[in-house]
Amino acid sequence: MIIQDFNYALRLLAKKPGFTALTTLVMAAGIGLSVYMFSFFNTIIYKDLPFQDGDSLVLVSSSQNGKRESNGINLLDYAEVRSSVSGLSEFGAYQNASVNVSGRDGARRYKAIYTEANIFAITRTKATVGGGFSPTDNLIGAEPVTVIGYNMWQNQFGGEPNVIGQSLPINGSSHRIIGVMPQGYLFPNNTQLWLPLKVDYGQITRESAQIAHGIAHIHDSSTLAQVNQQLQVVMQRLELKHPDTNNGISAYIDSIPGSREGEAYSVIYSMHIVAVLILLLASINVGNLLLSRAVERGKETAIRVALGAPRSRLISQMLWESIIICSFGGLIGLLVLAWGLTITQSIVATFFVDPPSFWWTFGVDAYTMKLFFTILISTILVTGLLPAWKNSGGDFNSVLRDGTRGALGKKAGRLNRILVISEIFISVTVLIAAGVMVVAAYMQSNEDIGADIQNTLIAKILLSDDNYVSGEKKVQFAQTLQTSLAKGVGIEDVMISSALPGDWSRRTKFLLAGKEYTKDNNTSYPRANYIAIMPGALGTLGVELKQGRYFDSSDSGLEKKTALVSENFTKLHYPNESPIGKQLRLSDDDPADWITIVGVVENTIQGSREDKHIPTIFRPFTQDPRQQLTVAMHMSADVAKVTDTLRQTLMSIDPQLPSFQIETYEQNNARFTAPIQFVSSLVALFALAALVLAASGIYGVMANTISQRTQEIGIKRALGASEKTITREFMITGFTQFLIGGIPGLLAGCTMGFAMSQIFGTSNLAVFIIAFIMTFLIGAVVMLATYLPTRAALSMEPSEALHYE
Amino acid sequence: MSTALIKLDNIEKIFYTEEVETHALSNISLTIDKGEYVSISGPSGCGKSTLLSLLGLLDTNTSGKYNLANHDVSDISKSERARIRNMEIGFIFQSFNLISDLNVEENVDLPLSYRKDLSKNQRQALVQDALAKVDMSHRSKHFPSQLSGGQQQRVAVARAIAGNPSIILADEPTGNLDSKNAQAVMDLLDKLHSEGATICMVTHDPRSAEKAHRNITILDGQVISDQLNTIHDQQSLVG
Ligand SMILES: Nc1ncnc2c1ncn2[C@@H]1O[C@H](COP(=O)(O)OP(=O)(O)OP(=O)(O)O)[C@@H](O)[C@H]1O
Ligand SMILES: [Mg+2]
Repeated sequence: MIIQDFNYALRLLAKKPGFTALTTLVMAAGIGLSVYMFSFFNTIIYKDLPFQDGDSLVLVSSSQNGKRESNGINLLDYAEVRSSVSGLSEFGAYQNASVNVSGRDGARRYKAIYTEANIFAITRTKATVGGGFSPTDNLIGAEPVTVIGYNMWQNQFGGEPNVIGQSLPINGSSHRIIGVMPQGYLFPNNTQLWLPLKVDYGQITRESAQIAHGIAHIHDSSTLAQVNQQLQVVMQRLELKHPDTNNGISAYIDSIPGSREGEAYSVIYSMHIVAVLILLLASINVGNLLLSRAVERGKETAIRVALGAPRSRLISQMLWESIIICSFGGLIGLLVLAWGLTITQSIVATFFVDPPSFWWTFGVDAYTMKLFFTILISTILVTGLLPAWKNSGGDFNSVLRDGTRGALGKKAGRLNRILVISEIFISVTVLIAAGVMVVAAYMQSNEDIGADIQNTLIAKILLSDDNYVSGEKKVQFAQTLQTSLAKGVGIEDVMISSALPGDWSRRTKFLLAGKEYTKDNNTSYPRANYIAIMPGALGTLGVELKQGRYFDSSDSGLEKKTALVSENFTKLHYPNESPIGKQLRLSDDDPADWITIVGVVENTIQGSREDKHIPTIFRPFTQDPRQQLTVAMHMSADVAKVTDTLRQTLMSIDPQLPSFQIETYEQNNARFTAPIQFVSSLVALFALAALVLAASGIYGVMANTISQRTQEIGIKRALGASEKTITREFMITGFTQFLIGGIPGLLAGCTMGFAMSQIFGTSNLAVFIIAFIMTFLIGAVVMLATYLPTRAALSMEPSEALHYE
Repeated sequence: MSTALIKLDNIEKIFYTEEVETHALSNISLTIDKGEYVSISGPSGCGKSTLLSLLGLLDTNTSGKYNLANHDVSDISKSERARIRNMEIGFIFQSFNLISDLNVEENVDLPLSYRKDLSKNQRQALVQDALAKVDMSHRSKHFPSQLSGGQQQRVAVARAIAGNPSIILADEPTGNLDSKNAQAVMDLLDKLHSEGATICMVTHDPRSAEKAHRNITILDGQVISDQLNTIHDQQSLVG
């Protein structure tokens, strides 16, 4: 019997190949797109770590004035947390670091962590060769040891087991290798080297204590929220006890992948909502197409019922159609989705200097399959039950003897209205959210970072070796590098800075001379990017001078204290006076170290484009040398030539010193906006799909409704209604439906839009304009979808319309 | 004294469908005076409904000339045609053609609602008047689906006469009714005629045709007979 219904449904579908192809494709698009979106975000945000108990691993971090910061927690605070918070166990702590390792073929830079001894136990992974750390390794004065990653073992030591006991020069000092971690173990973040974190808890004070990432396992019986509540209590106690250092500071835990989404919650939620809405839109469309077929067959169904067919058989038939269409469409969607995820892997790789987080493997995983089947079943139910609801509850007798006209039937008419209104609501919402995202991406990529980035090659150098500890050595290195490179082949200008405009830089808190800051509130100090740059480099980079002067040779000298500030610094702190000659000092520096402002330059953005409002303080590198430096070179030859010159120059200055991340300034800059551009193109694709689905769906329902009312139109015209009257009547109906669906859609879209604009810094006005345009667009679609079928119905002679079936 | 209300001159109607030409009407010349009660009959497919559609401006003739109340209406604009249908013509259909979403009152009000010269109160009065004439006042809030076929057709008649049109065009108004209901509708038309209405009715029921005062018979799109009904000889064409 079921087989019979299945065959019947198959025959019906085969009879209308166009219809079947259309519905299948719509379903494929809906399922494919939404599962992709979920799978993508699951991978980058929620995916469990690939080792045992990875799902119970949480990160302990601090927050400031309720704002979650992902840069770790003060070790003394953490000690308190360890002893008083229940619900967590196996506490550990680590710090991220970059280290230079000299090998046979020169020096290289590696991602490393300084960690407490239990890191491998916490992550339930044993070394493949040798062993892990013991707690004594963490003591000050203990022999320097290290555990290396599988790749390093293979590449540097040829995978030989006798690597254990060998010595490895890390940052210029020798470390004994005690273990090799298994392949694929890169915890916490593409790490290749593990070093013991050395802390003397007897010596450190709250002011001088280091910051580290706390890590622990949460008990099955505890929730994140419960532990967070406890953490707040503990931290409040500390705040009362140490107001100087702990004012406004609290702590929180989050799952490790989850801790990465940071502030972007609203974007991610919006994207998930968009994904669900797309799916709903596709389901409504297919449901409606099936429904209109059911209506077409309404008389046939009525006759069958009259002849005694049980209702269950009719529903079973209709459900089979949905099952076939959804499953087939879903299968196509799944194939495209698998392909899309593979591509995503390679695209996402371009967002980062290092490979992306090691658990970011995009693909059809267990989660994706589970989600796929859940979604498949829900779409079958939505698309199948819509027509079944219409037809099975129907009064077949009235269908058979329906003598009146406009015989759409009240129920079908209401259902059609609901369909149109939902499609309007969904498409307006999705288009506004997508519009905000796309505009934000566009604005971010076209943000003026303050410097000219064309035809420039950049490279980073880390002066971490012991022989660069003193400031003089660093300044000397920078000066030597600058003069040698300037003489090099293919290089026009050399600009050395701790961070280039556009790139991440150190941030600092500072005090302005003559201003009052509440002593007991360390959060009241203003913040700024804090960059050390060689004299002359700002002008060459194209960062324009607005007031005062650039740095020059007179600024050189470690004892001198001068600074340049950005325009937004002036606007923020000296809105009505010239900042030239004013003084500032860093909050954690000696209170006597006042720095004098000698000039104002144009605004630069450092790091995330969302932080463009943060002002910048420049110091001469010759006064305030740094470990990390970036060298930028205007090129008069091709990239390969200049790279070669750089390598050779560096080799001649210090053969132990690697340069890394050599790339053009433009590449470096693009990376900051690549993720948002990727997500925004994704969203644009969704928006396009939403527009096509909604437009075709709305048109379909409207055309259907109006065509079913052709006779009614004929009657009204016979009674003297002019074309204008009838057109207006339909347009008003269409417009009413547009308002009923569009206004809530506008509100929902704006809600998401405003939430996202908070993060991207898009102006409210922009959100309003986008919302208006998108609503207008859908309005135009609705009016057109009403107008065209109305015109078609009116093009008939009234006598013809009267006899239309 | 009668005046020519409808004057057809060599009317021809050709339907073009899929390269087939159907000559639904050819060479029809006809005059209908004010106050006449005309029946049109003939075998199925001979062109009766087509003729009625042309008379009611529901369709346009392929060639020929149509004068309605001394105005040439062969070539007027669509909106003007709509206005004439609204003001001058009342339709009654075989299948009632009430709008199912509207109740009895609203159905009758529909043609009046397209007019700009009537206030709401005036329309209300006309609707009640028309419903009273067909004896359907007690069902004014019912929906068509809650009425019997005969009742539906009486409402359709009320809708046709509510705006006091100069011509009532009926296409087999009793075709879907049993004899008792048919009789009631025919009596209604009779009454309307006696009150001065001009009526053109398509029918193939000889008993209905008897009620009319002039019988036109059509065959293959041409008028083959046009005679006064002798039963009503006291009222002649030039009465
Ligand atoms: N819209 C149309 N397109 C094509 N041919 C048409 C159309 N309307 C009517 N015809 C044809 O014109 C001829 C006359 O049709 P009409 O409806 O006037 O017949 P009728 O006399 O009313 O018949 P019946 O008594 O069966 O109602 C028929 O041959 C019919 O097929
Ligand atoms: Mg007919």
